[in-house]
Amino acid sequence: MTERRSLDLKLVLSVLAAFLLSMAFTWFLHTRLSERDAYALIDRTFTAVEAEIIDCVDERLVRLCLAVRERLEDDGWPTDTASLAALAQEMKITEISVANAAGDIVASSVTDYLAAPGKPAFNFKTAGGKAEDMMCLVTGPETDYCQPFRSNTANGAWRKFVGVWMPSTGGFVEIGCDGESLRGLSRSSLMDLFRNWRVGGAGGIVVTTPSGLILSDYEEPNREGAYWEAPDDSFYWKREEIEGFPTYVLIPKGSAAVQRDVLVGATAVLNGAALVFVALLVGFVISAFVRRQMRLQAAKELTMAKDIQLAALPNVFPPFPGETRFDIRASMATAKEVGGDFYDFYFTGPDRVLFLIADVSGKGVPAAMFMMRAKTLIKSIAQTGRPLAQVFAAANDALCEGNSSNTFVTVWAGELNIETGRVTYVNAGHNPPVVRRDGAVAYLKSRPALVLGALAGVRYGVGELQLKPGDAIYLYTDGITEQPDAVGELYGEARLLASLAGCADRSEEAALDTVLADVRRHAAGVEQADDCTQLIIRYDGDGGRAAGTNNGQEKGDDHGN
Amino acid sequence: MEIKTHTDGATLTIAVSGRVDTVTAPELEAGLKFGDATRVVLDLADVPYMSSAGLRLLLSAHKTMLAKGGELQIARVPPAVREVLDLTGFSGILNLV
Repeated sequence: MTERRSLDLKLVLSVLAAFLLSMAFTWFLHTRLSERDAYALIDRTFTAVEAEIIDCVDERLVRLCLAVRERLEDDGWPTDTASLAALAQEMKITEISVANAAGDIVASSVTDYLAAPGKPAFNFKTAGGKAEDMMCLVTGPETDYCQPFRSNTANGAWRKFVGVWMPSTGGFVEIGCDGESLRGLSRSSLMDLFRNWRVGGAGGIVVTTPSGLILSDYEEPNREGAYWEAPDDSFYWKREEIEGFPTYVLIPKGSAAVQRDVLVGATAVLNGAALVFVALLVGFVISAFVRRQMRLQAAKELTMAKDIQLAALPNVFPPFPGETRFDIRASMATAKEVGGDFYDFYFTGPDRVLFLIADVSGKGVPAAMFMMRAKTLIKSIAQTGRPLAQVFAAANDALCEGNSSNTFVTVWAGELNIETGRVTYVNAGHNPPVVRRDGAVAYLKSRPALVLGALAGVRYGVGELQLKPGDAIYLYTDGITEQPDAVGELYGEARLLASLAGCADRSEEAALDTVLADVRRHAAGVEQADDCTQLIIRYDGDGGRAAGTNNGQEKGDDHGN
Repeated sequence: MEIKTHTDGATLTIAVSGRVDTVTAPELEAGLKFGDATRVVLDLADVPYMSSAGLRLLLSAHKTMLAKGGELQIARVPPAVREVLDLTGFSGILNLV
């Protein structure tokens, strides 16, 4: 039982450990997965944010470029560098150039771009590099075009160029902004641009100036003059510069982990249920296995007990070869479950033979062990030659000692004086035997004394009986008389007596077989309920040595006194 | 098997109904709890059969009550059970009423 409980405890602990381990793994896995998902979302967001910022800046610059073209037109297309430089300064842009339809710069605020002695003007088509894409304004259908912010083809300085078509010449006007000018111009366009964007539920986008002044914040409208501080550990976040503006996309870890928490919760429930199921299953299998082992073990022990029990009984017949004054036959047909029946016989003096039958209360190994003890005790006391009543009293006292389970044994024992045919007997609570005298059978009813092992100090009275040669005494246990048939009717004393009466002219061995066969016929397939034990002793008389036949009736006739 | 108990002062009455054999004896054994009662009446009116396993319980109960200075009375014993008690000599030591 203790073993079983510690087994259960171990099982519960292993299941708990497995559960915690699997939950830790699930939590870790989903944390990593949600982190990966968060960064993938951040990267996707950056692509959209970049496009949005560029669109916004481009739109602003195209409008500016159109304004420049208008001014130049109003001013009658000045070509001198100084006028253009002045206009650029006024418009807060870095440079202004005008190109003809061939792609040559014909006027510019930057002297380097213009034709000089020995050096042609900058030509968009032939300059190589990335400048050529501006020619789309000449070839159409574009009427405005924006390059990205990058190092330029002419001298490697960082610029963003925007051009608009000039319908009057077929050429175009181009403005260029360096980083500072670009940011100055775009700043107002970017104000609160991403205020209403949400990333992954609770995350958002922040755009600042290079010095960290917040332009667009997702949490609140532009905080005038507030500086952005890099997010702490509670966010998944990334920083990129777009058109020179430091841009942050960030997702609170808590909001990213919502899905993880749901998944972990669901997994916990499913895992828990699965593990409990597995634990119950394993527990069931183990206990079934243990039960089976215990059953097998018990069955083995019972078989051993039965074997020991049977081996302890005298089972060679005739038991006393050459003995002609009496004959003893006995048999025990054991039931499936080991019981506590036994029989015994032995000489207690030169002319005295003791025979007995007994039935221990209860069944199983305890009954079998008690039976062995009782049998040995009675024999050892009886062989001292003491009178039968004293043998019973002494055996009873010994069996009562330490008998806390109150197991007891019913015994009927007789002692035959071979010379005289006189039988002294004691009945300690056993079924009455059947006596056959002159061929007639009858129960030998006597007031029984108490069973052995029940109460110490009991005195046992003896009965006496005179046998003539050919007379016999038949002893049995209640396994015979209490065998039920299919409807529960017991074999009973009347049937036993009838069966024995029918065997009067047969051998004693045949009588035992006949009774057992009759009991089995009565049972008609119903399982044998208890051990069926029988013993028969036939007295042949002191002078019957020479007769040598098994038929008691004939002998009784031969030697009738 | 059915076991009904009824306490009246120091007298505990235990009424058993059903066969008492090797199979049902453990159930009866569990039901034979006497507590503080000094007089226990075991009513066997509804016991049609009693095997040696049942007799062992009667003996145990008898000894338990004797040991604590009380008494066990076996009441309303049906003829079939009475026969077994007579046959085994138990009628001589138990208080049959």
